[in-house]
Amino acid sequence: EFRPRPPPRVAPADSRTSGSEPSRLAMAAAALRAQLNALLANMFTTGMVDEQFQQLQSLQEDGGSASGFVAEVATLFIDDADRIIADIAALLDQPVVDFDKVDAHVHQLKGSSSSVGAQKVKLACMHFRQFYEAKSKEGCLMALALVRSEFCDVRNKFQTMMQLEQQIAACGPK
Amino acid sequence: MASSLKALLVEDIKVDSMVLSFMLRRFHCEVTLAKNGKEAVDMFLEGNKFDIVLCDKDMPIMTGPEAVIKIRAMGATDVKIVGVSADDNAMEAFMSAGADDFVPKPMRLEVLGPMIEEVINRKNN
Repeated sequence: EFRPRPPPRVAPADSRTSGSEPSRLAMAAAALRAQLNALLANMFTTGMVDEQFQQLQSLQEDGGSASGFVAEVATLFIDDADRIIADIAALLDQPVVDFDKVDAHVHQLKGSSSSVGAQKVKLACMHFRQFYEAKSKEGCLMALALVRSEFCDVRNKFQTMMQLEQQIAACGPK
Repeated sequence: MASSLKALLVEDIKVDSMVLSFMLRRFHCEVTLAKNGKEAVDMFLEGNKFDIVLCDKDMPIMTGPEAVIKIRAMGATDVKIVGVSADDNAMEAFMSAGADDFVPKPMRLEVLGPMIEEVINRKNN
């Protein structure tokens, strides 16, 4: 079950502190954190990410000085998946398709999406298997379109997540 | 849990390698990386000693099970070797190659933790 991060405690405004820079930053951070929590909740409830992603978040939170770990993994996944999808497209563009290589690439993407918790990408890769096993170029092209679509969705969400985390960090420590 | 275990992680997928390394370091393991089975075998040939090996199955140049066979053939029978794979057929391949255990991907902390503890206890005894 997804547990959103609690917003930071913000001291109630009074005549001494209202309007001060620290309280404005704290309020901005709280608003950004609410946006981030809503984004993450959406990613879980739509099945875009699964408990493996939650485990990565827990690893980061429990790791003390490990802030940025999830962003690092997400960035690596995005770069890798981009390259793999391009490689698969190039293979399917050949007059004679090497389905064994397609298999190897899809297997790689399935592995990395599973490790990062990108559930929909993983499922799309599993769906892909029947087409390269059947050596169906047309089927593979349709399956690749699904993989690409799911990947674009999760990539956009990960990038928004990282932007929000950077903005929250820029507001200063809790 | 304090540990000074030497772990060899044999994994060609960078995302998997990063996540597993992080998990192992959470248990205070000293992590060495190999990108395929041949690099892992070479580590042992060079005289390196490890307490635990986490090994993927499908890798370029040499697969995980192939590496496990060669590592065991070198006489490295004490090191705990764990196959880690998303492949449905991986467990049989690893166990018949001589691995001690198999865990389907993705690895979970609650699975890795007891394995590390078991190796620590065995090492201390």
